[in-house]
Formats: sequence, structure tokens, C-alpha cells
Amino acid sequence: MMKMTTKLCSLLVLIMLFLGFTSNDEGDRLIGVWQPSSGKAKVKIEKIGTKYYGKIVWLKEPNDPNTQKPKVDKNNPDESMRNVPLKGYRMLKDFVYGGKDQWNEGTIYDPENGSTYSCEINMKDKSTLEIRGYIGVKALGRTDVWKRLEIKAN
Amino acid sequence: MKNLTLLIFLLGCTPLFAQTDSVNTSQEEEDFSMYENATPTDGKNITFCNPKIFDLSPARFVSIAWDHQLPYEMNLSSQGDYAKGTSINNYNESAKVNSTGGLRLFANIPVISSNKFLWQLGGNFWRTNYSFADVKGPINDTSLIQNISKNGLTTFGLNSTVFKPLNEKQFLLAQFAADLSGNYALDNPQGLRFLRYSASLLWGKRPNDRKQWAVGLTRTYRTGELNYVPILLFNWTAPSRTWGTEILFPARAHVRKNFNARSLLLGGYELDGQSYRIGGISTASNRELELRRGELRFRMEYQRQISGFIWGSIQAGYRYNFSYRADYTEKDGTDFFRGFVGKQQYAMINELSGALYFNVGIHLVSP
Repeated sequence: MMKMTTKLCSLLVLIMLFLGFTSNDEGDRLIGVWQPSSGKAKVKIEKIGTKYYGKIVWLKEPNDPNTQKPKVDKNNPDESMRNVPLKGYRMLKDFVYGGKDQWNEGTIYDPENGSTYSCEINMKDKSTLEIRGYIGVKALGRTDVWKRLEIKAN
Repeated sequence: MKNLTLLIFLLGCTPLFAQTDSVNTSQEEEDFSMYENATPTDGKNITFCNPKIFDLSPARFVSIAWDHQLPYEMNLSSQGDYAKGTSINNYNESAKVNSTGGLRLFANIPVISSNKFLWQLGGNFWRTNYSFADVKGPINDTSLIQNISKNGLTTFGLNSTVFKPLNEKQFLLAQFAADLSGNYALDNPQGLRFLRYSASLLWGKRPNDRKQWAVGLTRTYRTGELNYVPILLFNWTAPSRTWGTEILFPARAHVRKNFNARSLLLGGYELDGQSYRIGGISTASNRELELRRGELRFRMEYQRQISGFIWGSIQAGYRYNFSYRADYTEKDGTDFFRGFVGKQQYAMINELSGALYFNVGIHLVSP
């Protein structure tokens, strides 16, 4: 009986491993470094658990022109976050791969005004993303095109 | 074996248990310098200029506002043929206007909104109700006061805006609007032949995130009557990010004071007007009468975030009457162009004294 239970558990583990890793391979195509169309930032998308997050890893203008210090999230509505450096800030959060080259259920944060928008990501091809931030319904939003970047060895 | 199974189970479930709460910052140490030389994999990285600059007052998707003018005097001539510059000594009608005001609804929804092309469609609905006291003059169907006191003035309009970035610095901006303005009742609107069309086309540059300018030409009814004028857009934010300008001359010009990302103050003026067909009024020449209302509003406006994407605004200022004259137009709705040099005569020469006014609104703002 004990042997039977152990075999059953092993089978369950294999199934969970399969579901946990294999089915998300497609979603992992999102992982990488991307650049918004403005060219002002580079964002690294990574996977934490089963969700995808994107953090700012490069800024065209890294320092605040007024203070000459590294830019911080000074427009965040949460006062306790206003001294957090923008470099390393997770501006894309909680994305889940929904199939058909689409990641949804996430949010995008705009440090320029401290607003967080609902967001959907569509992969047009392996090097191009369409990122749509919106308010409530997708019609009330704006789409930006992001390009995949490749890190060159120095 | 049992322990091994448990270990494999725990390892296998790591992706599930590792779902963290939403975190804002990456905690691990990372060498960010490795991203300095990251370049596009397919060699293309086309950058287009954004329609906005830093710290502009937020664009509005939906707006609900109440506009209210405090007491002023209204003096109206009789109908006739008046040359430009004619001054009236004996007005045919006069009244004290206790208040003028009404609802102003506005919606502007993006149809296509990407970094390469922006197309918005919108609609607006404005009501202007008059409350008169101490009316003097004839009480008959030639009276303008009688005709506007019943239903007030209404504007229902549709508009379309296109922003086309040409490259990283240059852009084209086109706007088109069709407005149906008159003293019609909502359940009996006037014919579409009285639609009045406005349009603007601008070419401009956005040299950086703090400056945007454009020049162009507009066909406008902002002074009440049809005109074609050059137009200048100049939006600018100071390096300190606390001051700036929002100018679309001659329609409006404001200095902006940004307190933070969620509140700001605007001070300046706006030219606000429409051409209203006055239905039901008797005219000697069997033509239509159009009231050319143009107002110059000097004002201060405070805008602030209420919650999320809901913003509120309160505006107060002085309304100077630019035009309340009237013209005869054709029965088929055809309008005419007088411009700055045309010699066409006016059908009425009317005067409104200045008035204090306020406007309060609530808005759903755009990303």
C-alpha cells in the first residue's frame, strides 16, 4: 500500500513538473531586455514564480537634472516610495501568459506621473512587443511598441 | 524514497510558491552597466515623438462640467443692416441677466492609439440657459430675448483629432469639428444644414520632453463668426518642472504652475464661441438669423487628482464679451465669410457687459 502511494506521489510530481515548466515555455519568450519607442529606457523582463515582471535597467537620462543625483520615483502616490531609485524599479508587474502571444492581467507604471495602468502585452514577432496601457476598458488606452535588445559582450 | 518524493514535490512546486506579492523594486544586486550597449536585435528602433510633453495638464477622455456666469446687462439692437463699427444709442431690447449657465459634457475616445498614429473621436454637448430680469422691449416674435429665453442655446458637436508623428522630432496635428448650435429644443433639433464646420492643420516640432511647438492654419468659429487665422501651439515646461505654458494662440494661452504630479494651476485666457441659428424668430428679409457669440474668458483654473484617473477642476474668472452680434444667413444654411476685411453688414449690434463666472468639472483623464 505504501509503495503504491509513493508511486502515485511520484506520478503527481511529474505531472506538476510538466505543468509548472513545460506549459510556460511559450510564455518565457517574453523574457529579455526591451526598449520602449521613446528610447528613454531599457526594461528587463524576467519571470518570478509563474508571473512576468519588467524592471528598468537603463535610463537615457539617469540623473535628475535639478539634483544631479540618480532619478528616484518622486511622483509615486505612496510617499514612502518617493526615494526609491528608478533604476531597478519594476514598472511591469504580474503578467500571466494567456496564450496566442498575449500576456495579460498585469499593470504598467508610468514614473512620469506616478500612475499605474492596466496593461496587455502582445508579441507581434520575436523582436517586437505591443504594450497597451489602459484605464478600465482597453478602448481607453494607448499602445507603445517595444523592441527586443541584445546585450553585447564588451 | 518518501523523503526524496517530498523534496522533488517541493522543488517542482517552486514556481507556484515563488509567486510573490507585487514588488516594486528588484532587491538583488545587479550590474546595470551591462545594459549600456544593449542594441535592437533586428537593427530597427524607430522612435516617434510623443503627443505630450512633461507635466502638461492631463488630456481628458470624458468631462462633465457646470458653467455659470453671474449677473450682467444685455442690450440688443433691432434687426437691420449695420455697417462694421456702428455704435447703437437706442437699444431695442435690454435686460438684466441674473445668470447664464448650463451643463458642458465632453468625450474624446481614442479609436487608434499607438506610438505611430493617434486618432481620437469625440462629442460635446453644451447647454446655455438664460435667467432674465427687468426685460425691456417688444414682446413679439422679433425679440431675441424672447427666443433665447425659452430653450436657451444648445451646441451638439462631433470632433476628430489626428496626431501623426513624422519622426522623433516632427509631427502633424489635424482637427475637425462639426457643431450644431442654436436655440432648438432637445426633442426637436434643427436641421443638419445648419452644421458649422471647424478645422485646423498644424506642423510642429518636439525638440525635447519639455518643449513642443507647431504652426498652422485654422478655420474657426471661436469669435462667433467664420474666420481663417494662423495658429501657434507652444507647450513648454521649465527645467525645474514647476512652471510652464500651454498655448494654442489665438484660441487660448495659459501659464501653468505644477504643484506636483497630481495638482496644477493654470492662469490665462480662452476664446470661446459658436454661431447659433435662432429658429422661430421673425426676420424682415425671410432669411435666417445667426447669433455670433464670442467670449474672451480671463481665468484661473485649479486641477487636481481626486482618485486614480478621476480629476476635478474649478475655474473662475471674468467673461469679456467679444461678440454678441447677429448676421442674416441663407435659408439653406449657407454661411458666409467676413473675416477681418469683409464689408458685409450685421443684422444686429448687441452689447453684453462683462461678468464674473465659474466652472466646476469632473474628468476621466487619459494615460
